[in-house]
Amino acid sequence: MFVALQNVFDPALFWEYRAVLLTGLLQNIIIFAESAVLAIFLAFIVGIASLSRHGPVRWTAVAYAEFFRNTPEYVLLVWVYFVLPLIIGTALGTKANLSPHVAAVIGLGVAYSGFLSETVRAGLRSVSYGQTESALSLGMSGFTALRRIVLPQAVRRMLPEAVNQLVSLFKSTTIVSLIAVQDIMYQVSMISVAEMRPVPLYTGAALLYCIVIIVATQLFQRLTERWRRRGWA
Amino acid sequence: MIENFNRFVLANTGTLLDGLWVTAYVCFWAFLLAIVLGLIACLIRMRLPYARVVAIGYIEFCRATPILVQLLWVNYVWPEVFGFPQTVTGAGVIALALQSSGYLAETFRSGFEGLPKGQREAALAVGMSRWRIVSRIEAPQVGLVVAPLVVNQLAVVVKSSTLVSIIAIPDLMYQGLKIVNQWYEPIEVLTTIALTYFALLFAISRIANYAYVYFQTKFGIASSR
Repeated sequence: MFVALQNVFDPALFWEYRAVLLTGLLQNIIIFAESAVLAIFLAFIVGIASLSRHGPVRWTAVAYAEFFRNTPEYVLLVWVYFVLPLIIGTALGTKANLSPHVAAVIGLGVAYSGFLSETVRAGLRSVSYGQTESALSLGMSGFTALRRIVLPQAVRRMLPEAVNQLVSLFKSTTIVSLIAVQDIMYQVSMISVAEMRPVPLYTGAALLYCIVIIVATQLFQRLTERWRRRGWA
Repeated sequence: MIENFNRFVLANTGTLLDGLWVTAYVCFWAFLLAIVLGLIACLIRMRLPYARVVAIGYIEFCRATPILVQLLWVNYVWPEVFGFPQTVTGAGVIALALQSSGYLAETFRSGFEGLPKGQREAALAVGMSRWRIVSRIEAPQVGLVVAPLVVNQLAVVVKSSTLVSIIAIPDLMYQGLKIVNQWYEPIEVLTTIALTYFALLFAISRIANYAYVYFQTKFGIASSR
């Protein structure tokens, strides 16, 4: 029984490679953080633009969101990694090169900015338009009304959904191993090639991810819940 | 650009369509299996007192593990531990189904919990059996409520199915990458593939949206609560 169990999952193997695996996890977290910043930044621009009064601006934003929501992350990632350097190169007339890390951040960030822009849009729309109108009638400029009146309320309402999206972004960071970013999944594949024992390693990786993500989800939700309650408007 | 398009995409239309067919095949079976597994997990979680812990563990595991990890896990570990699946296609189908069944189980549960409790009590009072309550009273209503969400999950299956190419299932992505690796001309092929997936997923999400509006207006589900 014990031997059979050890064949399926062997913690000692993970302990042996702890340094490599932790650098892998760190790589995941760095890519997650960078692409999350990019995604949130783009999402706010697109989300606000998708509620613009000007037709072309609105259409562009909606098209952007629809396109990136409906294209698989892996396809985007490969596209950014292989095609984008060639296009940049042709445009600049030189040979351009994207490192896997940069390609991963751009690919994931752009992909998730589509999802997040929908969240931003829904959050902004949930604040009634009367508030914007009264802010404008008090003499605030459109931008000030957005920044001081609408955004503080909207951000608090979009937090739970945004946390869900960020958790799926973290899950998606596993696919960066496919363009040779040395993340945790990449290290697991390398070790399993070296050890010739894929079974305990992949089981361990699955359990590790499961635990990390459940803990991170709970943590994120607790943190944002407190933020929401405090009402920093 | 046009020359390359003719040379790499049009000349390989047959291969790419084969890939698209494999994608459709894998997604169809994975989706079907996911619905069945999701329904079972959901019913166990709601109705069986002791087994519900197992169902909760299963659902949480499926939802919290990235699809790539599940794919590699099923592909490398399951044949040695459980003796199946014997083919990569089987592994792809099972991994995709696992991921989606967790999400679908929670979708179904939200549907069941949205029903008024009185219906169940009334059915029990007239002497219906548990299974009959589910099949005659609850399932038809839940089906209508969750249908758009289930179609949305199909979009997730198709999206995740791009990853099955890495365990050498010859789907659309696999065929595309093969052409890219053969000629080192990625622009046209990869762009075509990205647009194909976009068209596919956009169509699915439109259908889900349409179904949502249709069921709302035709059956007035939101107002029946």
